[in-house]
Amino acid sequence: MKQLNAILEGFGSTWLLLVRALAYAPTLPRQFGRFVEQCYLIGYTTLPIVAILSFFIGSVLALQAGRSMQDFGTQQFIGSLVGLSMARELGPVMAAILLAGRVGSAIAAELASMKVYQEIDALETMNIPPARMLVLPRLAAVLVMMPVLTIIADLVGWFGGAIVAKYTKIISIEPESYFSVLRRYTHFSDVLNGLFKAELFGFVVVLLCCNIGLNTRGGPREIGASVTRAVVVSLIAILVLDYFVTQVLMAG
Amino acid sequence: MSSSCPLGSTRNPFTAVDTPAVGVSIEKLSKNFGSQQVLREVTFAVEPGEIFVLMGPSGSGKSVLLKHIVGLEQPTAGRVTVHGLDAAATATREQVRIALVFQSGALFNSLSVYDNLALYPREHQIADEAAIRDKVMHALQILSLEGTARKAPSELSGGMRKRVAIARALVMEPQLMLYDEPTSELDPVMSATISEIIATLKEEYHVTTIVVSHDRELALGIADRVGILMDGALVSLGPAAALHAPQDPRVAEFLSPKIDLQNPRFKNLEK
Amino acid sequence: MNNSQQNARVGLFFLLGIALTWVTFQTLSDGRVFRDKGYTLIAGYESLKELKQGDEVRMAGVKIGSIELTRLAGRRAEAVLRIDPKVAIKSDATASIVMAGLIGTNYVGIDLGTPDAPPLRDGAEIRTKVTPDLNAIMAEVGALGKKLEDALGSISTTINGDGKTPGLFQKIDKLIGDNGENVNATMTNFRQVTDKLNKGEGTLGRLLNDPKMHDDLVATVGELKAAATNAKSFVANAQSIVDQVKAGQGALGALVFDEKAGNDFKAAVANLRTVSDKLARGEGTLGKLINDDSILRDAQAVMKKADTALDGLGDSGPITAVGVLAKSLF
Repeated sequence: MKQLNAILEGFGSTWLLLVRALAYAPTLPRQFGRFVEQCYLIGYTTLPIVAILSFFIGSVLALQAGRSMQDFGTQQFIGSLVGLSMARELGPVMAAILLAGRVGSAIAAELASMKVYQEIDALETMNIPPARMLVLPRLAAVLVMMPVLTIIADLVGWFGGAIVAKYTKIISIEPESYFSVLRRYTHFSDVLNGLFKAELFGFVVVLLCCNIGLNTRGGPREIGASVTRAVVVSLIAILVLDYFVTQVLMAG
Repeated sequence: MSSSCPLGSTRNPFTAVDTPAVGVSIEKLSKNFGSQQVLREVTFAVEPGEIFVLMGPSGSGKSVLLKHIVGLEQPTAGRVTVHGLDAAATATREQVRIALVFQSGALFNSLSVYDNLALYPREHQIADEAAIRDKVMHALQILSLEGTARKAPSELSGGMRKRVAIARALVMEPQLMLYDEPTSELDPVMSATISEIIATLKEEYHVTTIVVSHDRELALGIADRVGILMDGALVSLGPAAALHAPQDPRVAEFLSPKIDLQNPRFKNLEK
Repeated sequence: MNNSQQNARVGLFFLLGIALTWVTFQTLSDGRVFRDKGYTLIAGYESLKELKQGDEVRMAGVKIGSIELTRLAGRRAEAVLRIDPKVAIKSDATASIVMAGLIGTNYVGIDLGTPDAPPLRDGAEIRTKVTPDLNAIMAEVGALGKKLEDALGSISTTINGDGKTPGLFQKIDKLIGDNGENVNATMTNFRQVTDKLNKGEGTLGRLLNDPKMHDDLVATVGELKAAATNAKSFVANAQSIVDQVKAGQGALGALVFDEKAGNDFKAAVANLRTVSDKLARGEGTLGKLINDDSILRDAQAVMKKADTALDGLGDSGPITAVGVLAKSLF
């Protein structure tokens, strides 16, 4: 009962935070500096890990698929498998998971510490709503940066797959034919589909992490607990959302 | 100062404009956290332009009461008004400038001292950047902090941090200053310094001031009136001079506890 | 890090994102964003075979759309084709299911139609054509191979005989050999006749007075010549079949080629040439044929049959022709 209550409270406070932050949207232009700073933290500093991970995701996808496709003599279609999987699913999901791990945790930690050390209270007494100053620039930044991260994840993943497809003995597909198959079966709408998902995941992750950080209660010990909760809740949200969004996008 | 601030008004330290001083009224304020009752029907008033010191042992509910005045907590029962306006309403803080100096300072650790002070005027678009700069440097100057402008809060000592917090409160051009344990965790000399600052600000600008503290020296030194809170209830209220001869034995013990090794208190603490 | 450097990096990063998105867009879709633009056509088939949603629609090998939906509609299966709006499909164009690979990738191929026909509009039904699938083709090829072998067997039997009864050419040989004396006598007679003709004696009058006999003579000579030509062309055709088969051209070659059958066929062809050579010599046999009506009639009948066979050869291509020849010879 208590847990259920906590979950409902979480839902409610997240929505409220979203509504509050959106209500301050007109103040975004004069918060441009903060927005750029958050873009830097969310996008630029997350790029290396996204690139590295996507490369290996693409590679391992090609490797695993290549092995089983070779049994049917269909390994020439590996490009389409890697292309579609990265564009529609793994690119956005991996980018979102890394965002949750790297950016979401940092947001939760920062806001939780601000809450615990009464910085949030100080803002309130100064009549500066945290939703405006702390949440809105982050939400805006993630909306701008997430597609960039995802398209990089897609492309790097594709190249990872191409390299594995060429240099793995059992596959041995030339990059030209890999990319020609990839191009034939992966449409730009698939990429857009993935970008939309990434946008949604990124937004939800940042919103959840902000909310969990801002709702931290107690002492410094709670900062760690909040970070853990933020990451766990974000991951669950990403995967659950992914299922339903995929259903909706496929039906549409 | 060109001329002294007239009684019943608060002078803006930057513009030297006088505005009517703000009073605070607390009526039958009760606050529960779950089943725990933190405040029990507390009633008192803070006169415009005075320094009111609220004393009491740890956990007696002083800080919670302070948060009610600034709107960070909502009363379970009763009413808190500032200048006749409901303190719980956000609109009140737009009409009356209330500054709270947190116990920890609550400085924004990600911002420099300068940016900490400049945040309020910037966010409220009160002045252009040049005017903000003048104001911030003036506030730092009042508290002798000119050298710290570019430093990060983490580079400062505890006493400096409290002073920066006070400077940040000053930049808000407050009509009501609230201090939460301003001298805690400070050595006696630094405590005295902070007390002097509070008193000076009150003398020069007639800012209504409420100080929550358990520092007896501070209370005796600067308070116009003192209230004592115990277990969430107000047990004593009167001029600071009355503290020299308290009537209530609990108050007397709180103000000047004698260490008694023959009959140690911790053996008799409530279970 | 100072602020302007941070701004620059974020700006650069953002531009990189836009650039990459643009490149991806250009690469993947030739400048089109959504695949479901265009108009739909309905193609009905008895069976869609391996065709499934998302397969390509091509015209003259160029992708012009995709299969949006496959469904059952009463007693037939329908594929809904989503066609690029830039491509107009003529109303007399036909759509057939084409197999692109052995693992079951299919596409719908639409031919160009005639240039003057009006284009099909959204939601229209396109004409369809059933093309045999791989299984059907394989079964047919197998059956054909068997048939061919049977045909070759019966040809060699009829031509060469099976050891007990003499074959066609033996019979003709024997016929000509047995009647050699008569032929010679006839030739002598004929020479006398021509001598007489040359001399302008009464025989000429008789010949001239009997136009029917004259006509017959001319026709017979013509027919024999034609027969010889036909026989030659048959031999040439047969030879080319054998060559093709021997060269193992296509799966058919492998299926058909069998040394014994080939040798039989060659022998048969050799015999046929002997006969035709004899026939071609013409002169010696002519008188005999003229004098012996029954031989003439027999020969005519044989040649007629051979003619039919050769016609068959010409009409339906070499492979089927062998079967026709075998059937129509006797």
